Amino acid sequence: MPISYVCRKCGKAYSKSEYDQSRFCTSCNALLLKIFNKLPSTYLPNNQEKSNDESSHKDKFALFRAANHLRELVGQTKEYKVVTEDVEPQKLSTYEYWIWNSEYEEALKYEKWLLKQYNGKSLEEALPGKVISNKQGECYEISSSCVAKFEKVTFEESKQIIISDLKIIPGIGPVSEQLLKKQGYTTVEDLIRHPHWKKQAYTFMQLINTKDFCAVQKWLWHRFPKSHPLLHYLAGFCQDNTFAIVDIETLGLSERPIILLGIAKPTRDHICTSQFLLRNIPDEPGAIEALINNLDQTTSLITYNGKSFDVPYIKQRLAYYGIDGDIDNLNFDILHFTRRALKSKIANCKLETVEKYLGINRDINIPGALVPHFYDTYLRTKNVGPLVPIVEHNKQDLLTLGTLFSKLYEEWT
Amino acid sequence: MIEEFIKNIKQSTSYKKQIVHIEELPAHKAIFGELEQPLSEKLQNVLLNRKIKLYSHQAQAINGAIAGKNIVITTPTASGKTLAFNIPVLEALTRDKKATALYIYPTKALTNDQLKVIKELEKDSGLKIDPNIYDGDTPQHQRASIRENSRIILTNPYGLHQYLSWHAKWRTFFQNLKFIIIDEAHIYRGVFGSNVAMVIRRLLRICMFYHANPQIILSSATIANPKEHAKRLTGKDFETISNDGSPKGKKFFVFWNPPLINTKNALRRSTHQETKDLLVLNVLQDLQTICFTTSRQMAELVTRWTKDELLARSKSANVVTAYRAGYLPQERREIESRLKSKSLVGVVSTNALELGVDIGSLDSVIISGYPGTVISTWQQAGRAGRSNLDSLVILVAFQNPLDQYFMKHPTDFFGRSHEQAIIDLHNRYISLGHIMCASSELPINECDKQFFSELFTMSLQALEQEKLVQKTPRGWVYSGTARATEVVSLESISNKTVTVLCNGVILETLTLNKAYEETHEGAVLLHQGETYICESLDLYQLVAKVKQENINYYTEVVKCVNVTISKSYEKIDVDGVAVELGELSITEIYPSYVTKTHDTIIKKTPLDLPPLTFLTVGLWFTLPDSVRENIEDLGLDFAGGLHAIEHAMIALSPIFAMCDRWDVGGLSTSLHPDTQKPSIFIYDGSEGGIGISETLYSKIKLLWEKTLDLIDNCECSEGCPSCIYSPKCGNENEPLDKKAANIILKEMVNLCTKGASKV
Repeated sequence: MPISYVCRKCGKAYSKSEYDQSRFCTSCNALLLKIFNKLPSTYLPNNQEKSNDESSHKDKFALFRAANHLRELVGQTKEYKVVTEDVEPQKLSTYEYWIWNSEYEEALKYEKWLLKQYNGKSLEEALPGKVISNKQGECYEISSSCVAKFEKVTFEESKQIIISDLKIIPGIGPVSEQLLKKQGYTTVEDLIRHPHWKKQAYTFMQLINTKDFCAVQKWLWHRFPKSHPLLHYLAGFCQDNTFAIVDIETLGLSERPIILLGIAKPTRDHICTSQFLLRNIPDEPGAIEALINNLDQTTSLITYNGKSFDVPYIKQRLAYYGIDGDIDNLNFDILHFTRRALKSKIANCKLETVEKYLGINRDINIPGALVPHFYDTYLRTKNVGPLVPIVEHNKQDLLTLGTLFSKLYEEWT
Repeated sequence: MIEEFIKNIKQSTSYKKQIVHIEELPAHKAIFGELEQPLSEKLQNVLLNRKIKLYSHQAQAINGAIAGKNIVITTPTASGKTLAFNIPVLEALTRDKKATALYIYPTKALTNDQLKVIKELEKDSGLKIDPNIYDGDTPQHQRASIRENSRIILTNPYGLHQYLSWHAKWRTFFQNLKFIIIDEAHIYRGVFGSNVAMVIRRLLRICMFYHANPQIILSSATIANPKEHAKRLTGKDFETISNDGSPKGKKFFVFWNPPLINTKNALRRSTHQETKDLLVLNVLQDLQTICFTTSRQMAELVTRWTKDELLARSKSANVVTAYRAGYLPQERREIESRLKSKSLVGVVSTNALELGVDIGSLDSVIISGYPGTVISTWQQAGRAGRSNLDSLVILVAFQNPLDQYFMKHPTDFFGRSHEQAIIDLHNRYISLGHIMCASSELPINECDKQFFSELFTMSLQALEQEKLVQKTPRGWVYSGTARATEVVSLESISNKTVTVLCNGVILETLTLNKAYEETHEGAVLLHQGETYICESLDLYQLVAKVKQENINYYTEVVKCVNVTISKSYEKIDVDGVAVELGELSITEIYPSYVTKTHDTIIKKTPLDLPPLTFLTVGLWFTLPDSVRENIEDLGLDFAGGLHAIEHAMIALSPIFAMCDRWDVGGLSTSLHPDTQKPSIFIYDGSEGGIGISETLYSKIKLLWEKTLDLIDNCECSEGCPSCIYSPKCGNENEPLDKKAANIILKEMVNLCTKGASKV
């Protein structure tokens, strides 16, 4: 990254060693400015102009300094906490987002290595893919296909499991359920013969038999918490090839650009991923559009905290650009299921932790919290190195979600 | 009755000629006004049922607003301003069933108050408005419903600053926004005001995006420049309404100077004790009184002393209470309703009540110490005076030169014009930050130039250079890694809050700076007249633990401010006087606290608190030792001269840098460790600096000339509020030496001109 030092008054250039010796200009004693990249000509004071346009130059320099100050503040403001290993566990739970100090240090070292390794390389060399365009703009698409197992319950299995839980019917609690089962009513279907419950049982079975996913989901939401396994089993109502795993990477927790949108479509033994990367900020509308183009009304999303994060985030960015468009697909947010199933087995529900439990190993990884930092480095240096682990991180997340979705069925039994 | 009361005081045996002046402000009758077009039936009925006949200024405001104009109302406290803007809003909401309105208040307490008023209007009119407050205290699960259903939303600038980027969720509200009400608009001045002006521009920009063009109604205390202030704050043109049509009884404005108890060193009796005595007299006379003190602690102490005295005279003590910021909302509500029901006769308050909290008018006001501005003094005085009845205002002076000046020159006060509210739209630091925030709300395009200063293009270039925004075909897009609104704050004050716990129950909350003063270990905290001793202050968890104990002493922290130079940016030699601009580190040190009973120190205890430090930008200059020798040869006070110059320069800084004098800090010393010379420092009060000192630095020569002009041409002999007395001096305006200042400045300016003539 080229850094230059110039006097903020006369514009005289200084080298790093001169700057280290004294931070003041030798001729006019003004503080030297540290400048990244190339200094645009507008900021370079022109000595000839100085007399007639002095105030405007003063404005420029003051603005420059103010912007520099803002930049520093932005750099200092972190949405995660770096904690050392000796932190008290109670304190850890008060932080919403945190990473270990060792992870942090390692990631910074890794970033340095990447910058060296990818110096001068093009995006195509580092991450093979192609530029695509649509009505909202352009972006860079990276596609892959991996062998991976994706299993879900069939409609029949799903139906059987759901209707075996008599508590679905309002008014039936665990005690009455046991009683009814003893009397031979083992499913909701059987209840249609029951003098008292027949009406509700009939209505519910209508919904099941017409595969009215939304109505059944609503019904279940009324009866059970949103993390209830039956809601996961509901996936059996969806066609096999209609699932799409979605995960996005952003410059922060809100109000900042999305930098990468990943989508994966699982089949029985393959997962095909498409990742839409921003080569630069202007690509954002094109990348969002590319993702939306990959969804249709029948698509069911699989996300990790997507109900609270990914989907509202995409909606906010659409509103930011004033683009009409929406994502209102069915969403299996498996964070909720994971929390319920694995709460007692893992320390937290970070995807990395879940992976360890599932026995998945990542070759290259950076903590998700550092994605903004890595992308920012790419923006400022134009070195594509830091993009590599971001894309890899996102792809791994997509694959893990596919596996996790299938594995959770084992946890319920 | 008031005249009688004053006469009795004068004739009482304990009277020691404290009254130095009585200004009689004449009564005036109500002037009523007519509406140009009838209101909708529902609203007509409301006015009819409440037996309200509109005063001229109310009618004028309603007429103007209904005709589509932006209005600024500056009539005094308790003149019915609230109704004047609520009626046109409700009228708009009646005519358009979807219409919405946004009310912006400077404090949460005021939004609570206004909510009550609007709810009553809603009930009386039968309109469906569902008014609600939306701020930091609004529970998460209620937010969506408020955004979607409430037609009047009340919030504050801090909240707005955060919510604007979520405009998509507010879409329906913004699309139908017909009115923006900005109450207490005089609060938005100086650096804070400049920030709020930018937030309002961001709001209007979002409105434009949703094709809404809301009208704005501003309400403000009397200031010198209402029309200009309204325009600066919002960018729109306004019609001013300032002729008060509400009836006013005769008002007696008394200047009360505590008596000398030691003529040799001119020592006067404690202002607080005098205040207490006056409050007791008022209460005994059954005059409903509000007493304003300059600090929270004094509000509590005066209350306590008054109660003690009432009990000593075997009268009921619970007719008096304290009321100040930091009380929990339900406590405040209770006090307000007890005032209205007249079960409270005396209330002692900090300026929390100076803002328009709805307690109606009282018989009498005691102002304990000059509040610092003409605006505030009249705001506080405005609390006295029910329609047609005589009322009383007593200003009790402090010993300091500023208060004493007014005691010597009372007519000066009554002839003095209200201060201007100054907002700087061209402050590069402020506009840059808000342009960045705006870019995170919607991409910025050329047409947004109308909302921001002329440095628009240059600001975007500077932000782009730092990769904080990026140009895209859709405009400039924010690309920083932190939330823009988290980086840009509206106020310089630290937003850390300390919670005070008593037996695990929250007693109150206060800012970190206040906690240093009032809840350090061993401090006596007063709350509702009860005494609590602070057992611990945990700076990490931001919790102070107190226990209740009945004691008759109180504590005061000793605080000193240190200024050290951490970086020099620029240096110029203005022909003999070296002036520098750079980064300063301002450190507040709290070495000890003193224990007092009734204004007498009984003990001093050391404290172990880490100093509070902030970095800012400032300018400083040193004087040659020859100047010092000259002054001392003349037998004048050199330090007093420097101090006076510092004050006068700060007094002039608003004119040079478009700020409030409270935004600027200063220090003068005859020997500073970093410069090894007599030095004067002037610095920005905001963390990180906000461009004020930079501007002053660039005009330093002119500033000195104007300062000399101010001191030289001021008619006073020893100094006065117009020249060297500062209303916010940390050293009680001591020492000050006007003559020394005059000579030092003459030498400085002389040095300059001599140098200049050489060239």
